[in-house]
Amino acid sequence: MKYSPPSFAGFGLGLRTCYFEEILTTEPNVDWFEIISENYFVSGGKPWHYLSQIKERYPIVMHGVSMSIGSTTEVNFDYLRKLKQTIERVQPLWISDHLCFSSLGDFNSHDLLPMPYTEESLDHLCKRLLIVQDFLERPLILENVSSYLTYQASEMSEWEFLTELHQRTQCQFLLDINNVYVSARNHQFDPSEFLNAMPTSSIAQIHLAGHSDFGTHIIDTHDQPICDEVWQLFADFAQTHPPVNTMIERDDNFPAFKELMSELEQARSLAPTSWRMNEYA
Amino acid sequence: MSTLERLQHDFVAMLQGKNADFAQHIAQQKGLSCEQRSEIYQNAYQIRLKKVLEQDHEMLGLYLGDELFDSMVETYLSTYPSKSASLREFGERLPQLLREQSPFKEHGILSEMAQFERLLLHAFDAADGPVLELTDLQSIEQASWPNIILKLHDSVHLLTCQFSAVESWQALKNDSSPPAPELHTHRHWLIARAPDKRTGFYPISECHFQCLTSIKQGLPFGFVCEAAAGVAGDQQQGTIEVMQLLQQGIELGWFLKTSVT
Repeated sequence: MKYSPPSFAGFGLGLRTCYFEEILTTEPNVDWFEIISENYFVSGGKPWHYLSQIKERYPIVMHGVSMSIGSTTEVNFDYLRKLKQTIERVQPLWISDHLCFSSLGDFNSHDLLPMPYTEESLDHLCKRLLIVQDFLERPLILENVSSYLTYQASEMSEWEFLTELHQRTQCQFLLDINNVYVSARNHQFDPSEFLNAMPTSSIAQIHLAGHSDFGTHIIDTHDQPICDEVWQLFADFAQTHPPVNTMIERDDNFPAFKELMSELEQARSLAPTSWRMNEYA
Repeated sequence: MSTLERLQHDFVAMLQGKNADFAQHIAQQKGLSCEQRSEIYQNAYQIRLKKVLEQDHEMLGLYLGDELFDSMVETYLSTYPSKSASLREFGERLPQLLREQSPFKEHGILSEMAQFERLLLHAFDAADGPVLELTDLQSIEQASWPNIILKLHDSVHLLTCQFSAVESWQALKNDSSPPAPELHTHRHWLIARAPDKRTGFYPISECHFQCLTSIKQGLPFGFVCEAAAGVAGDQQQGTIEVMQLLQQGIELGWFLKTSVT
């Protein structure tokens, strides 16, 4: 089945529990919020109490961390059933997860482990993506993960791998520019080469986030402000691309909400006018 | 086993400290060695899951102290690696580990404190549902009362402690010293989410515990009253106890509306 790509919905923020009250009280100028899908696999209580109020006021996007689409063991249909139930309840604009494996059999690492960039991985992912999308009856957008190693087995670059996957399946990507930067530093490649190589039609969403720099390597911790280099990569990207849904992602060391809003405004200001919601509408 | 299957199998084994050969899959690059690159993933795996247990079992961590807590995490990770897609469920078997493995099993309060913290988590995000109100009971005809079946809200959990687990948890939460772990007699607790979504815990008497156990078993109201009378010593006192329980439970949202209609 062919699926339509999501439309441009503007600039969003990751919805985290510590900001629930403030969002409801102040109703900030955010175009949409992204939730972590698995946090809402629970039946009720505070998470749903707040989400149901926020989703009355803002569109919601769902972002998963545990699908493990690249895993070579059987597709976890129990997980997919829970995801589908949550999708039905949330009615998100679109859903995404990561291009990686995180579990194998009944072991779950709770990490985003990179795939080798090989023909075998491509074949495997093409098959899995079809199964998942058919089950969910909607497209699944895949995020590039940050990595700290490259495999001996890899036969192509990450961007060549993603491009090939897009060409074979028409799947779209959540391009995490911070992840591109982290991997570029850890593997000594030019992040602009990655971004420029990605087909425009393959990019459905952008994540902007921070990382921790350890000198010899950097780790994608999502607990720091977005660095200047990542802002510059985003600015360059925005100047040369049509509007892409863009989000500020923060997962730890949470700052005051106004600091995230300030980053959101910075993203808006770096994008050309054609990326602004009112211009686009 | 295909090349991809072998690689993923070796990666997972490396994370669990069972495969020192994983580095052979990694391409040599400038900067870090292959071993250092695999260690980043191994450390992240351990740190992430340790953090989950620290967050879910904050007071247990304070009670144990850093050294014993770290030892517990290490034992738990190797005994019960995560099998769930949700981190929320990772610590589900911690009370069992503390009950079964030395040196923790020699201190029964540890398992009880872990169980108490698990129940707080369960109550936090249990299913919502319309709660029973006094007006629902007023519409029941007198002759029907013995046969009505009350149903507990999904967030309601019962816990019986042989040790001062809850009192110690409370003391640590208030930055006070925990009491001696031994109790003269066991104590019953009810953990539930109140209508304002706050999770609370309440000491309950032996009589109320028996009533709630009967309700949990799906027994009709007549049996609940008999259970109360059995503990209270006579029927009249038992009825008073049941009415007190109903009043408190309705105020705090312990019963579901669907239970009597």
